[in-house]
Amino acid sequence: MNKGKILVGLDAGHVNTKAIIMKGQGILGYGTVTTGFDVVAAAEAAFKGALETAGVTRGELAEIVATGIFRDMMKVPPLNVTATVPDYMADAKGALFLNKNSRTVIDIGGNIHKAIRYDQNGNLLDVIQNDKCADGLGIFYTTMAKALGVSEQELSELALKSTKHVSVAIHCAASAESEAIDLMCQGVDIADVADAISRFMGERVAAMCTCMSLAQEIVVAGGLAKSKALLKHLPGLLKQDVSVLDLPEYVGAIGAVMSYEGGK
Amino acid sequence: MSEHEYALMNEQLDWKKAKAIVAGVDVGAVSSKVVILLDGQPYAVSHVVTRTPKESAFKAIDAALAKTDLTLEKIQYIVRTGRGRTQVPFGRETISEIACGAAGAVHIWGQSVRTVLDAGGQSCKVIHCTEKGRATAFLWNDKCAAGIGRSMEAFADLVKKEVNEIGNIALQSDQFPKLSDFCTVYAQSEALDLIRSKVPVEKVIAAYHYAMAKRISTLVARSGMKKDFVIIGGLAKNPGIINWVESNLKVSRLAPKPEWDPAVAVALGAALFADAFNKPQQFDA
Amino acid sequence: MMNKGPDTIIERFRSITENPREYAKSLQRKGQLLAGYMCTHVPEEILYAAGMIPVRILTSHVSQAMTRSYMHETYCSFSHDCAYQGLAHHYDFLDLIVTSSSCIHMGEAFNVWVRFAGFQGKSFLMPYPHIIETKPAAAFMVESFGEFKQFLEKFVKKSITDEDIERAIKVYNHTRRLLKRLWEFLRRENPPITGPEVATVTLASQFMDKQECNQLLEQLVQRLVAESGKGPPGVRLMVTGGACDDLRIFDLIEHLDYDASLIFVDSCTATRYFWFEVPEGRPDKLQAIAEGYIGRIPCPAKDNVPGTGEKKRFRFIQQFIEEYKPDGVIFLYQRFCSPQPMDVVALKPILDKLGIPSTELELDSTVPITQFSTQLEALVEIIRGVVP
Repeated sequence: MNKGKILVGLDAGHVNTKAIIMKGQGILGYGTVTTGFDVVAAAEAAFKGALETAGVTRGELAEIVATGIFRDMMKVPPLNVTATVPDYMADAKGALFLNKNSRTVIDIGGNIHKAIRYDQNGNLLDVIQNDKCADGLGIFYTTMAKALGVSEQELSELALKSTKHVSVAIHCAASAESEAIDLMCQGVDIADVADAISRFMGERVAAMCTCMSLAQEIVVAGGLAKSKALLKHLPGLLKQDVSVLDLPEYVGAIGAVMSYEGGK
Repeated sequence: MSEHEYALMNEQLDWKKAKAIVAGVDVGAVSSKVVILLDGQPYAVSHVVTRTPKESAFKAIDAALAKTDLTLEKIQYIVRTGRGRTQVPFGRETISEIACGAAGAVHIWGQSVRTVLDAGGQSCKVIHCTEKGRATAFLWNDKCAAGIGRSMEAFADLVKKEVNEIGNIALQSDQFPKLSDFCTVYAQSEALDLIRSKVPVEKVIAAYHYAMAKRISTLVARSGMKKDFVIIGGLAKNPGIINWVESNLKVSRLAPKPEWDPAVAVALGAALFADAFNKPQQFDA
Repeated sequence: MMNKGPDTIIERFRSITENPREYAKSLQRKGQLLAGYMCTHVPEEILYAAGMIPVRILTSHVSQAMTRSYMHETYCSFSHDCAYQGLAHHYDFLDLIVTSSSCIHMGEAFNVWVRFAGFQGKSFLMPYPHIIETKPAAAFMVESFGEFKQFLEKFVKKSITDEDIERAIKVYNHTRRLLKRLWEFLRRENPPITGPEVATVTLASQFMDKQECNQLLEQLVQRLVAESGKGPPGVRLMVTGGACDDLRIFDLIEHLDYDASLIFVDSCTATRYFWFEVPEGRPDKLQAIAEGYIGRIPCPAKDNVPGTGEKKRFRFIQQFIEEYKPDGVIFLYQRFCSPQPMDVVALKPILDKLGIPSTELELDSTVPITQFSTQLEALVEIIRGVVP
């Protein structure tokens, strides 16, 4: 049985809010809710969902620790968060917890992607974030799945079936989307279009990573880490091996807990 | 069919009594539309969400024919248009959405029309035409202005509202922050950042509409404006966009006609071409 | 001796455009020194006189993002692609790369090669005036070319004589005349060669050994004189704009739903490359080259007639319109290019006045075929007055 306090990690991101309940080194439960514009309501909903899956009550909690772009907005009722952790730090600690040998995490999120290099204790060594033209990869992925009439999971599966290499414009998600539609209207197989979309995202992430040196082991986090099709292209583009963390979208939330007092 | 999709039929017309049965199929990036004419009169209209062009063409024609025993084979002439037109496996002729948009707009609004803004899901075009609906010039959006219509849908998802709602919400605010009005990626990203400044969602919706409308207006201004001005395509039904396009250009568009959804104007134009080609005489070349 | 029909010769040029690096390496294997250039404002004659073959760096059409760490996103695809090829070591075999100060985007691509792709010791950046229609411009160019000549003499360890330069001028003028002759076939109503084919040949010429190029061009022109039209001709379309080495677009123009013919291309990868001559037999060779290059159809980045705000390029365009009689004009420019679209703003009203419809295609490393064909077909429909 795990000793230690029960802690909640909240990662309030641009697109999704993630909550995780941990006791010591154990994960008790987690949940994700679309952030939308009412950030506090989304956090509350994610938090409640995680509590339910963990079978834990509010009274049993020691602390809620928030990270993510909207972390400061959690400081109001009903959550009354007092402990916040910057995104980069949370990512590093969370990645390290999930993989003790990792030294670089690439976090591919709903609106932004970033890479963080850290030491064996999770102390930050270097960070990089995408340039503005490459914003919105996660949102783009969701939109494209809708445009192709498939789920996000199916989009990845389709891409893996691709047999022909086609390309979309690389400048930004808007032009990539425009050209993905064009490819469809040319009669290009939907699997090949799905692959072109995945490769576009890999290219943008890899482009960002060329601005910072990456240390092995390199792990991938964030919602888009769940896309096998994206992960298929990344190692080749980075010219480095990568692996996907378990619970990739919860890395920040886990890291928030670990940054506070977690793991004890 | 999802809630953005519909099909209408004029039950008072009997296709078995019609001499000319023609159709226009507009396979766009975001939606596909079909208009069926009997002796030049509207018989059936459908508006479905596009997936792959081929399946969307079938979906649209099936939806249009759903309540009738008229079959695809009995339609004498079909003209294909829209981005996905080459993938439509039926139909005899393809005409660009530019020529179809001009023809459809003049048919709907009459001979005074000279400038048509087709604000669709993926692309925006400005079309100049004669009183007969003949296209004389056009401007296609530059790449940085691509996908405005679809970005509205993505934005609606992000604010957890329906796409039909956000246009009206946009008009509720007089004052709101400015967003980047050059590119949807920047505008979208900046809109998300406004959350941190605790800007209410209605104001952010207004800001996004204002920015997109500004972008569209720039296109029209670059192409030139000559009245009368009309707007077709999916965004023609977004009051937020319409309001600021009009105020930026200082020109009011002609009000939509009750008989015709502006989003099907291009499909209508294609059907009109089909009607003309179906007649014994040559079309104006 | 095989009797080469025009199609065979055109095929030779086309295969060279499909494998430019292999062609360049084959020249090197014959003992030639190669100088890559990224902009046509480089006086190739001086390189040729130095015993080097100027080889234009064109794009690979690969959709890649790695160059975003080196150059800003909003630089054109052409420059990003050129930078990419340097970083990917596609052209390590070149002995030298040269460019002139022209547009910022290409300037940065050149800098990427020098700073990050190993061309530090084998590069030359030539100052070149922007406002060419001024008195000081020629003297400026002569001085700049003089420095270039000195650099080359040290580089190849050989002096460059006036005879060397005169010889080079004659070879290059010969290429220019032959290419012009080729394009002039397109003035006919039913030419024996298509626009895309002429564009292909012209593109190849920009990185070929000019002597070999001239031999092939002579044969081609000779054969074509005897050939009948490829017909039936369609609507006549003229292209004007910036660098475009994507031959797929020219092929697209002639493979629309309607019959359309590409009859002229005003771009630095087509007619602007060669539509001038350098005066021959002059005592001051560098002065002659300067005069010749000043007489080029200007690139929008270098086109301003002082005091009038007029664009000299437009006089050429109007002349081409008179001679080639296009029914429609296609503006072609790279996305994020600044000078080209600025010219479009000024040129469109002129076309409107002449009653010539037009459309704009924005170039990228990828080609959105259905969008482009829609725009082109719409243009043809407008020209033909299509209405229900």
